[in-house]
Amino acid sequence: MSMEASPASGATKQHAVTLPWSLLVAGSIVGIWIVLALFAPLVAPFDPTAVDIANALKGPSAAHWFGTDQVGRDVLSRVIHGARIDLLMCLAGVLPPLLIGTTVGLLSGYYGGTVDTLLMRLYDLTAAFPFFVLVLAIVGVLGPGLINFFIALAVVGWVTYARLVRAEVMAIRDSEYVQAAQCLGYSDRVVLLRHVLPNAFGPVVAYAVSDAVLVMLAGASFGFLGMGAQPPLAEWGVMISDGSRYIRQAWWICTFPGLAAISLGLGLAFLGDGLGQLRRGQVSA
Amino acid sequence: MNGPLAPLTTADRPLLDIADVSVTFGNTRVLKHVSFQIMPGEIVGIAGESGSGKSTICRAAMGLLPSTADVTGDVHFDGQGLLGLGEAEWTKLRGRHMAMIFQNPASHLDPLRKVGRQIAQPMIRHLALSRSEALGRAVKLLDDVGIRESAMRAKSYPHELSGGMKQRVMIAAAISCAPRLLIADEPTTALDVTVQAKILELLKELNRQRGLAIALISHDLGVLADVCSRIIVMRHGEIVEQGEAGQIIEAPRHPYTRLLVDSQPGKRQFKTGWKQVEDQTPLLQIEDLRVVFPAKRDLIDIVRNRKPAPFAALDGVSLAVATGETVGIVGESGSGKSTLARSIIRQNRPAAGTVKLDGRPIEQFAGGDLLAFRRRVQMVFQNPYDSLNPRMTALEAIAEPIWRHGIAGRREALRQASKLLDMVELPTALGERKPRQLSGGQCQRVGIARALALQPQVLIADEITSALDVTTQAQILELLARLRRERALTLVYISHDLSVVSSFCQRVYVFRSGRIVEQGGAADVLTNPQETYTRELVASLHRLPGQMVERESIEG
Amino acid sequence: MQTILRRIIQLIFVLAGICIVTFLLVHMVPGDPARVIAGDRASPETIEAIRQRFGLDQPLWQQFMTYAGNVFAGDIGQSMRYKRPVVALIGQYIWPTLFLTGYVVCLAVPPSIALAIASARRPGSLADQLIRFIGIAGMAIPVFWLGIMMSRFFGVGLGWFPVSGYGKTFADHLHHLFLPALSTAIWMVPVLVQSLRAALIEKASADFVVAARAQGAGEREIFWRTVLPNAILPTLNLFGVLVAFLIGGTIIVETVYAVPGLGTLMVNSLLARDYQVVQGLTLMFAVTTVVVTFLVDLLSAAIDPRARV
Repeated sequence: MSMEASPASGATKQHAVTLPWSLLVAGSIVGIWIVLALFAPLVAPFDPTAVDIANALKGPSAAHWFGTDQVGRDVLSRVIHGARIDLLMCLAGVLPPLLIGTTVGLLSGYYGGTVDTLLMRLYDLTAAFPFFVLVLAIVGVLGPGLINFFIALAVVGWVTYARLVRAEVMAIRDSEYVQAAQCLGYSDRVVLLRHVLPNAFGPVVAYAVSDAVLVMLAGASFGFLGMGAQPPLAEWGVMISDGSRYIRQAWWICTFPGLAAISLGLGLAFLGDGLGQLRRGQVSA
Repeated sequence: MNGPLAPLTTADRPLLDIADVSVTFGNTRVLKHVSFQIMPGEIVGIAGESGSGKSTICRAAMGLLPSTADVTGDVHFDGQGLLGLGEAEWTKLRGRHMAMIFQNPASHLDPLRKVGRQIAQPMIRHLALSRSEALGRAVKLLDDVGIRESAMRAKSYPHELSGGMKQRVMIAAAISCAPRLLIADEPTTALDVTVQAKILELLKELNRQRGLAIALISHDLGVLADVCSRIIVMRHGEIVEQGEAGQIIEAPRHPYTRLLVDSQPGKRQFKTGWKQVEDQTPLLQIEDLRVVFPAKRDLIDIVRNRKPAPFAALDGVSLAVATGETVGIVGESGSGKSTLARSIIRQNRPAAGTVKLDGRPIEQFAGGDLLAFRRRVQMVFQNPYDSLNPRMTALEAIAEPIWRHGIAGRREALRQASKLLDMVELPTALGERKPRQLSGGQCQRVGIARALALQPQVLIADEITSALDVTTQAQILELLARLRRERALTLVYISHDLSVVSSFCQRVYVFRSGRIVEQGGAADVLTNPQETYTRELVASLHRLPGQMVERESIEG
Repeated sequence: MQTILRRIIQLIFVLAGICIVTFLLVHMVPGDPARVIAGDRASPETIEAIRQRFGLDQPLWQQFMTYAGNVFAGDIGQSMRYKRPVVALIGQYIWPTLFLTGYVVCLAVPPSIALAIASARRPGSLADQLIRFIGIAGMAIPVFWLGIMMSRFFGVGLGWFPVSGYGKTFADHLHHLFLPALSTAIWMVPVLVQSLRAALIEKASADFVVAARAQGAGEREIFWRTVLPNAILPTLNLFGVLVAFLIGGTIIVETVYAVPGLGTLMVNSLLARDYQVVQGLTLMFAVTTVVVTFLVDLLSAAIDPRARV
């Protein structure tokens, strides 16, 4: 059997990394939202919770670019402050499951055995429940609120990460470079952290970014259903929920937080897609 | 059944006429002004290493190149110009008058359809046969290509057949419409050697009985010399030489052809650098080793309260390797030879028996003893790209064992690593590269350097050249022979290729289904095999004329 | 046979697991379970009655056996709010949801297949890039927001469609549920297209396609007889996941459009802390998902000989 890559081209071709344009655009969108969230009090023209009944339900104007809501709060300021909550949701909804799942998946994929069998059964069980239903039920039972939403996400979400990492680790475990590392007498810790994990992490990162989209949308949906962030907190889903009652008189209350959610969602989705492409490109090159 | 065949018909018009064909993908030119002809009824071999363009030219002739390929020149089949044909014209030609079979039969069969139907499909398409008629003929064709119980096999799905059977099915489908030309692209490379011999025999028979012209593409000059009347040698997209098979093999004119001939496995002997064994206690001793892989017990077995039969990859194997010796392990896939390698480096836990180093069972090593054992026994792996961590540079990979074992600091380790790089004849500049920026042969050299970084006494080489081109393989063997001499290495060399093993090793163990079927001095096993299986193995070797063993003497 | 038997055994285990999870769900609620089940305004007598009925003073495993026995007998609890068995409630609310899911599938599947084929025919072409863009973008749209916007525009603004309810006749249903079904479909199409497109492109460059071409098969024949059947398989396996997505989607969309379906029931019960309904619905949704996945596996085995071993 002969390797397909010719020796000559393999040796001389320098690996040129070209960033897909979509990755750049997506990255900047997400970056802008992060900056806006970080400096929200400086950027936002008004206090997001300042009630001004006299100016309630006013359409977009020079003073209030996105108009005002039913109690006269500035929609633009609330959208900017909402970015804090929604970005936080992405972070707090993705990181704990990612860390728990990666650790469990790494160990169970590498060592196999009873823990591994147990993990797979647990995965089967979690996969049996529609994601949204299970998270909704847990939040409902624990009581509405952001903290309980994060707890429910961690309880349900880690299993997916564990399975993803496990599959990668099992493939890498059988690779010859891991066998070589074992044969060279490296400790399990070194093999796992230096040789297995770095090579298993790529797909996890790509998945985590697309998972962030899912989590943000779920978080906004929960806010909308009254199960997530609670009013008067400026969260996009809550704002849309509030605004939907005034949709006939004041379209802007609902529309702008929705557009904000879409733009952040788009940014994250294309970021995940671009990272995935980049990874595949590196693998196939 | 020996020797190349003369063409059956001596028509003056070539069946396939390729004139000045060049192929470009984007800015890369993969074929440069290639011209050759295939006469009706002859078998022509196309030899070359990876990247030589030998597959590209044949796919160009079949119109199978992706649309991104830019093809210039002229291709004529039986007088008809092929370049620029429309899809409708191509479909009338392909499968009907010219057919093709491929390297990996497993991936070239549709997994969702029964093989009988896949063989029948071209006949329904081209010969306008009814379905039942075509299926009937498909069964007959399965008979013709040597598949027993053909009526039953026709109802099988591809995954139910062995690799050799799948290739026979591909051949049956290819010859179903009695084409005049068969292009065979490395048809036996993915198969075991004994199966390979049978498939080649089948191709020769088809040529003789049906007058089927065959273009046989292979990296293995031995195979081509055995089957073809003419051989075309390609390199970097160009034909470097073409001529009668005998002339190419015995009196190559082009230096590259000469290199190719010289690099054939078993052609060159690497008989230096090992110690003659006196009667001494063996360094590495394997006693009655049995390695068992438990079959997975799933829910259904628990419910039915039964235990699936475990699979014994090694079943009572005993062998001994003395200090400074080079021992070869030969076997086909599934023979247990890689399991043996993994057992020696403690990757498999034996079910019974022991592996001893210096008389001490290696399973008992722990802590400092285990680390000392790791320093003494090292391994080089099969797949050059897979054996290196894709995230580490060559230098990092070689230096890592040195500093992790506390032999030197990290900076000093890097310095030593660059010396090792030099030792395996790699330029220092390559040290900064990641595996994917290296060629297969270069990766394999890095793998050797890494294994030698701890200055081991025993080196296990598991199929280390099977993924490489023949010329690279010869270079790696040469390197290994030199290192063996310089470092007084004890080598366990594992390969499926008996000729390589016998050219490189003192003693040989032949493995089959987890057992040793024969052992002895390398030359003895090759020239005078005792067991039926070994004889079969020897007979399936394709050696070039003038090699150290005469084929006739084996068969006689 | 072997595979089917194995899957059935696995199914039984998963169903048992689902029972355990839904059982534990109610026990996660902070506070006295009897009070939780009875609701905030219940009298001490009611609470005591519930304690008796569910054996809440017994050890946990005995409670579970009681629960599992009840579930097996078809009793998945009692709604405190409606004072009716949960099964009866589900029977009443399930029809709009079933209608809606069927509607969504009808609206989503044909365009998905068409778009995926259009996209995979010429990968990298303008059409393909556009479809790929829409595919990724579609996943980033919040369904509830889309629902509100469409009801404002098509319902309130143009008056083409009613913005709430379910209607009485079949045609009424079609009319009432068009916007809810469309919002969900818009969200589902991208997922389907992405999967099918990737599978089509992968299979179109498979070795067996080259072999079919070498045997003289035309491009049309190759696509319909070789590429498509092979590409359907991975998409089929996605179907189980999609059902889960679909259930989540309908919960939100039903709330937005006030469709009297299971989703609305679920959300209202959650807000009213009618936990037995939540428990019963969670059980039902999970069982549905598992059964659909099981059926999809059977279908895969019928298409793919490798899955039959």
